[in-house]
Amino acid sequence: MLQCHVKGCNANNFPLELQEVVLEEQEAELNEDFLRNMLGKLEYEALVATCLKLNIQDLPPTIPEDAAYNDDFLQKLHHALLETHVITGKMVCPNCQHTYVIRDGIPNMLLAEHEV
Amino acid sequence: MPHFLIQFAQQHEEFRLPELEALATIEDVEIIYNPEDYSLESPFLIVEIESEEKAARLLKRAILIKTIIELWGKGSSWDDLADKVKQHPERWPQYMDVSFKFSVVCFGGTIEMKDKPAIINRFAFTGFRGKIMLKNPDVEFLLIADCGLDPDNLIPHTFYMGKLIGHGKRDLIDMFNVKKRKYIGNTTMDAELSLIMANQALCVPGKLVYDPFVGTGSFLMTCAHFGAMTVGSDIDGRQIRGKGKTSIRSNAQQYNVEGRVMDALVFDVCHSPWRNIKSGIFDAIVTDPPYGVRAGAKTLGRKDPLKQATEPKMLEDGEYSHTKTDYIPPTKPYEMSEVVADLLMFAVKNLVVGGRLVYWLPTVTEEYSIDDLPTHPSMELIANCEQSFGQWSRRLITMEKVAEWDGKETLGPPTGEMSRSKTSSTNSIGHFGFRDKYFAFGNLESSRRKKILKELYDKGGREAVRAYMKSEGEKKRQEAAATSTANVDAK
Ligand SMILES: C[S@@+](CC[C@H](N)C(=O)[O-])C[C@H]1O[C@@H](n2cnc3c(N)ncnc32)[C@H](O)[C@@H]1O
Ligand SMILES: [Zn+2]
Repeated sequence: MLQCHVKGCNANNFPLELQEVVLEEQEAELNEDFLRNMLGKLEYEALVATCLKLNIQDLPPTIPEDAAYNDDFLQKLHHALLETHVITGKMVCPNCQHTYVIRDGIPNMLLAEHEV
Repeated sequence: MPHFLIQFAQQHEEFRLPELEALATIEDVEIIYNPEDYSLESPFLIVEIESEEKAARLLKRAILIKTIIELWGKGSSWDDLADKVKQHPERWPQYMDVSFKFSVVCFGGTIEMKDKPAIINRFAFTGFRGKIMLKNPDVEFLLIADCGLDPDNLIPHTFYMGKLIGHGKRDLIDMFNVKKRKYIGNTTMDAELSLIMANQALCVPGKLVYDPFVGTGSFLMTCAHFGAMTVGSDIDGRQIRGKGKTSIRSNAQQYNVEGRVMDALVFDVCHSPWRNIKSGIFDAIVTDPPYGVRAGAKTLGRKDPLKQATEPKMLEDGEYSHTKTDYIPPTKPYEMSEVVADLLMFAVKNLVVGGRLVYWLPTVTEEYSIDDLPTHPSMELIANCEQSFGQWSRRLITMEKVAEWDGKETLGPPTGEMSRSKTSSTNSIGHFGFRDKYFAFGNLESSRRKKILKELYDKGGREAVRAYMKSEGEKKRQEAAATSTANVDAK
């Protein structure tokens, strides 16, 4: 859901590519209402592409038609969205190559002086 | 519909009706009352609610309601009250054989222990045969004497009797007490207000809530407590990271909401990386924008645009300065009025329709005063409550996105109505619930309109009011559509 926002970088600036990541998995309670809420808001292809980079391979390439009530799918989505945390790593813009650093699980998306 | 007596907390009075309205919306409970019965100077309000079960639902997360009773009578003395209660013996049989107790309470005065039994005995005519249990009885009856707020008056003027429905959740205030919170900063928001804001934002499980000025994350905690998923961001990474072992994350652990505090990111809201999703991403935005000396607003850039670099700077070691982990970009001051205008525009673009923006607006400070509330045709004002500190004051503004943004419309003309609280009883309609915002009180409602509604209600009851409100709402929508096209044409 994040894109590059460097000044002038308006096209091909999504999804940010994760690199050199350290992941942490943390079990979380399944929240179906939330997942259903997110179904309409996610850019699913970008999510799948990002997950593949992280070696999370169980998401189907397209959203199943019955996604909202498909327990198996919701469980996988839950795992990808809410149980997988990037602790350290970089998010790189596919267009301008700006690198956003993630440290202690906190992405730093501040722009530099010349980028605003 | 049966009558109930709500006893509010005598605190944050301006926030009480808006919270009640929010609770009614969240729990889908319809409430009717006579606006003339409501006063900021009294904790009591008589309302009509469909059923006991629905009344109880309002209490599940109420912060400013102390107690609700099913009202059995109201009188000007204990005797008068007893007479009123006697008029409805049909209420009694179902409580004949269950365990019970009577409690006598007094607002604004005291009733001595030794006088209570005699008061209770006046109500012996109900003939309840169940066991009297002081702890955990099946039902509890309340006898309430009201002396009012005047500290010099210790003589009760109004008396109520009823069956206890339950108490609000004021104990949450203690649970979220910032003195017991592990990680706080100097702008951490008070627990009670943070909880009220979560109610105003209609936080429920499944929703996504965002605080763009997250600081130490007060609102993430309370919104997550009511089940919402939360994210926050701040220009100041130190706020999010916290100190040592304490941070937003450790607070989330403390309140057992870790799974619902998803992320905290570092960026400037003026340069926000959120993808623009057409139908909106967030179900609510709950925030306390920076202001004043303690948490002055900043935005990326330099005060003097000529001095601002346009190229990255190469350091002696051959690396660019901004790629260093300790790089902190320069910032310039960010005017309060701009902050608020940007926030409103952000909400217009990123809230879902029906989503709420709940934010603080300082109105009078030593440095400035704002007397205009920014508006946008897509955003409807739901509540505007003042909290005054003498020297300065701030307002909690609740807005709801009522229409999709057309991609063009900018902020509307200021209303000049900033200083008018939206809940003053002189301009409210006493009817809300069922997510029908046109039943809600509005400061645009004239007293004439109120009179019409009253007449309609007397004649045709709720149905008549509802039909009228629907047609008015439709008219209002059409007018809004007409003026907004006119505006576009004018540009
Ligand atoms: C009043 S404080 C919010 C405090 C928060 N409610 C809490 O409970 O800790 C305002 C916050 O806005 C942040 N801020 C100031 N300018 C900002 C900007 N342009 N973008 C994002 N955050 C900003 C400040 O760092 C500060 O943490
Ligand atoms: Zn870019």
